[in-house]
Amino acid sequence: MNGFALLFLIAGLGLIGWLTARARANRFDRGGAKRLHSLPGQHGMYVAMWTILPALLFVVVWSAAQPGLVKEAVLEHPAAAQLPQFEFERDALLAEAKRVASEDNATAFDPVAEQLAAPTRSAQAYYGWMGTGVAILLAFAGAAFALTRVGAHFKARSQVERGMMVLLLVASLIAILTTLGIFLSLLWESLRFFQQVPITDFLLGTHWSPQVIDANDPGKSLGAVPLFWGTFFIGAVIAMIVAIPFGLMSAIYLTQYAAPTVRKWMKPTLEMLAGVPTVVYGYFAALTVAPAVRDLAVSFGYTYASSESALAAGLVMGVMIIPFVSSMADDSIAAVPTAMRDGSLAMGATTSETISRVLIPAALPGVVAGILLAVSRAIGETMIVVMAASGAANITLNPFESATTVTKQIVDLLTGESEFDSPKTLAAFALGLTLFVITLLLNIVALRVVKRYREAYE
Amino acid sequence: MSKSLVPQLPTGPKEPDAKGSWRAPTDWTTHAMQKRIRRRYGAERRFRFFGLAAVSLSAAFLAFLLITMVANGWRGFTRTDVALPIDFPASGMLIERAQLRTPAADLALAGAGLENAVKGAAATAFGPGGEEFISENAWLRIRDAIKADPSILDRKMRIDVPASTEIDQAVRGDGNAEAKATVAKLQQAGALSRHFNLDFLYESDSTDPVAVGIWGALKGSLLTMAVTFLIAFPVGVLSAIYLEEYAPKNRWTDLIEVSINNLAAVPSIIFGLLGLAVFLGSWNLFGYQFGPLLPRSAALVGGLTLALMIMPVIVIASRNAVKAVPPSIRDAALGIGASPIQVVFHHVLPLAMPGILTGTIIGMARALGETAPLLLIGMRAFIVTPPGGFTDPATVLPVQIFLWSDEVSRGFVEKTSAAIIVLLVFLLAMNGLAIYLRNKFETRW
Repeated sequence: MNGFALLFLIAGLGLIGWLTARARANRFDRGGAKRLHSLPGQHGMYVAMWTILPALLFVVVWSAAQPGLVKEAVLEHPAAAQLPQFEFERDALLAEAKRVASEDNATAFDPVAEQLAAPTRSAQAYYGWMGTGVAILLAFAGAAFALTRVGAHFKARSQVERGMMVLLLVASLIAILTTLGIFLSLLWESLRFFQQVPITDFLLGTHWSPQVIDANDPGKSLGAVPLFWGTFFIGAVIAMIVAIPFGLMSAIYLTQYAAPTVRKWMKPTLEMLAGVPTVVYGYFAALTVAPAVRDLAVSFGYTYASSESALAAGLVMGVMIIPFVSSMADDSIAAVPTAMRDGSLAMGATTSETISRVLIPAALPGVVAGILLAVSRAIGETMIVVMAASGAANITLNPFESATTVTKQIVDLLTGESEFDSPKTLAAFALGLTLFVITLLLNIVALRVVKRYREAYE
Repeated sequence: MSKSLVPQLPTGPKEPDAKGSWRAPTDWTTHAMQKRIRRRYGAERRFRFFGLAAVSLSAAFLAFLLITMVANGWRGFTRTDVALPIDFPASGMLIERAQLRTPAADLALAGAGLENAVKGAAATAFGPGGEEFISENAWLRIRDAIKADPSILDRKMRIDVPASTEIDQAVRGDGNAEAKATVAKLQQAGALSRHFNLDFLYESDSTDPVAVGIWGALKGSLLTMAVTFLIAFPVGVLSAIYLEEYAPKNRWTDLIEVSINNLAAVPSIIFGLLGLAVFLGSWNLFGYQFGPLLPRSAALVGGLTLALMIMPVIVIASRNAVKAVPPSIRDAALGIGASPIQVVFHHVLPLAMPGILTGTIIGMARALGETAPLLLIGMRAFIVTPPGGFTDPATVLPVQIFLWSDEVSRGFVEKTSAAIIVLLVFLLAMNGLAIYLRNKFETRW
C-alpha cells in the first residue's frame, strides 16, 4: 500500500478513536461526583494517542527495514545466482530490477534484472502488505487497550500531558542527535580515510592532486595544507580586508552619526546583503568580478593572470560578510554604557575621538567575537568559491593567482562519479571534519568572549 | 570655527602657584591652538565621511548586483520567433487524423517525421542551412499547433516558432557577423518578432537555451520546502517550548542548548555531508547491511537535510518569541486552574505565534536559497520532467542556477540571470511577508 495512504488511514483511525472516546466520556456514569477529572476531549486525545503512536512508530521502523528484507528475498530467488559477485554492479542490477518492478511498462537493459523484476515485485507486495497489516493491527490494538482504560475515574489528562511532555523532550533531543549525527558520520568516514591515508600525510602534506591518486601511496597526493592555506587566504585574509573596515565603519556610522530615518532604511538594506543567496554571489563573482580582476592583473603586468583568482572570490565573499561584522559591531557598540560616551564628549572629545578611544576599546571583545564568527562563516562558505575560485591547489601570497578552498574541494570530490569507498570520496569527509572542528572552535571561542564581555557591563 | 564660539579666556595666571603645578588656562585663540582644533575637526569630518562611504559603498554594491542581474535577466524573459511558412500537404507526412484526438497524438506526430518535415520547411523557406535558424525544439510548437487545430494539416500556413540560439543572440547584437547578416535578411523579410517569453515559467531544463524553463526546478523547490517545513517547524517549535518552558536546568538541557547554538553556526555544506552519509550512505548495523534509507536526488532527502539545517534558526527565534510573552499571562492561566501544558498550548503559544512564524519564514527563505548541501546529495541531475512526488529525482532553483551558470553556451547567461530574478522575487516576497507579520502582530507588552 502507498505510504501516504497508510499514514492517512492511521490518522483516520486516530480521529475515529478520538470521536468515540469523547462520545463515551460524555455519557460516563459520574457516580455522584460533580465533575470528571478530565475533559471528554482529553479522553479522546488519550485514545487517539494510543491509536496513532505505536502504529506510526512501527511504520517508521518498517520502512527502514523493508528495502533490506526485499533485497534478501530477491537474492534467494534462483535467478539471483547469475548476479555478479562485485557488490557495486550487483546493487546496480537490483536497483534496475526495482525500477522495472515499480513502473508500468518499463523494460530493463539487463536480462538478469528483467528476470528479477517479478520476484522483486512479489517481495515488495508481500512485505508491503505485511507492514500495512501489522500497522493497522497495532492501531486497533492500541485503540482497544486505551478504550478499555477510559472511564469516569480515569485520569486521562495526566496521561495525555505526560505523553505531550515526552513528545516535547524528543523534539528537543533531535538537536543533540543532529550534532551527534554530524560528528559521528564525519568521524566514521574520516577514520576509514585515515586507515588508507596516514593522518600526518593529510594534515601536513603540501601536494594536493586528487585527480591522480597513486594507489600504493595515496597520501602523497592528498596533502591538505594548500587547501588550508587557500581557505585561510581567501576567507580570513582577503574577505576580512573587505569586510572588517566596511562592516565596522558602517556600524559606527549607523549607530553614531546617521539620522534615525537613515538608520531605519540603511540597516535593513545592508542586511539584504546577507539575504542574497550565495549562488547569486557566486554567479556575480564569476561573471562580473573575476574578469574585472583579471583585467586589473593584466594591467599590472601579469601576462598569465588567472580568471579564477583568489582575489575575485575573496572580494565578493567579503561583501557578503559585511552585514555579519556590521550587526555584531552594532550590538556591542550599543551595549557600551551611555555614561562612558557622554563622559568622553563632556570632556571635549570630538565624536570620532570618543568612538576610536572610548567606544571601540570598550566594545572590542564583542567586535572581535563578531569578526571570529564572520571568519567562521567565510571559511564555511561554499558556492562563491565553487563558482569563482579555481580547483588548482597553490600555496601563494599573490591574490591574483588561483587558490582553492576546503569547501570547493569537498564539492569537487563528491560530485564526480566515483564509488563510496575510494580515498578520493572519503577525503571529502576528512576535509568536512576539519572544517567542522575549526568552525566549532571559532564559534565556541566567540560565544565565550561575548558572554564574558556582556557580564562585564551588566 | 568662527571666532565668536571660542570664549575669551584669561591670558595668563594672575597669581603664580608656589609649587608651579598650577597650569595657565589654555589660550585657544593662538595660532597653534586654532590649528590643532582645525586638525581635530578635520579628522572628525574625515571619519564621518569614511563611515558614510562604507555604508554607501555597501549599498551601492547591492544595487550594482541587483541591476546587473535584472539587466541580464530581463532578456531571458524575451524570445525571438521566426515566422516559418510550412506547407503540410506537400511535406508528405502520413498522419492518422483520428489519432490526434487521443493521448497517443505526440507519438503519432513524432513517428510521422514531423521534426524532419519542419526542418525541411525551414530549408525551403530560408534556403540551404535554413534549419539552423530555428530552434531544435521548434517542431514541438508546431506539434502543439496541430494538436490544437488538426485542420491546419490541409493547408499551407506561417507559424511562429522559436529561433535558434545564434539567431536569438544576433538579434540582441551578440552573435557573430554571419548570424547578424542572416538576422538582417530575416528582418527585411519581416519574419522575426520578439515576444515576452512566458514559456520560461512553464518549461523545464533542456540542452537548448532558448527552450529552457524554470518550472521543473521551481516545483522541486516547492516540494523540498514542503518537506523542510513539515519537519523543521513542528520539531523546532516543540523543542523551543520544552527548552523555554519546562526544561529543568541541568547538564542535559545545557547540552541541548550548546548543540542548538553550535548547529546554527555549522557551515551548510557540513549538513550536505551529513545527509549524504546518513540518508544516502549504506549502514552496517549488527552485521546487517541497510541500503540507502532514501532515494538519491529526491526532494525528500533535500527537504530533510535542509530541515536539520534551519531547525536551530527556528528554535532560536521561537525561544525568543516565547520568552517575550510576559509571565503574568502564565500566572493568570495557572491561577484559574490550567495545567502547565494548557498554559502553554492555550495561552503562551498563540501569543508567541507571530514571532515564531517570522523566524520560520526567515529560516525557510534561507533554505530556499541554499545550494551547497543539495549539490552533495545529488540534486544536480538534469531534470527534464518536473518531479511528480517527494521521491522523484528533482532539482531546486539555486541548483538550477548553478547548473546553468556552468553551461558554455552564451544563451544560458541571460537564462541564469532570469532564474536568479525568479529566486530573488520569491525571497523578497518571503522576507516581505515576515516583516509584514512582525509589524502587524508585534505586541509590546
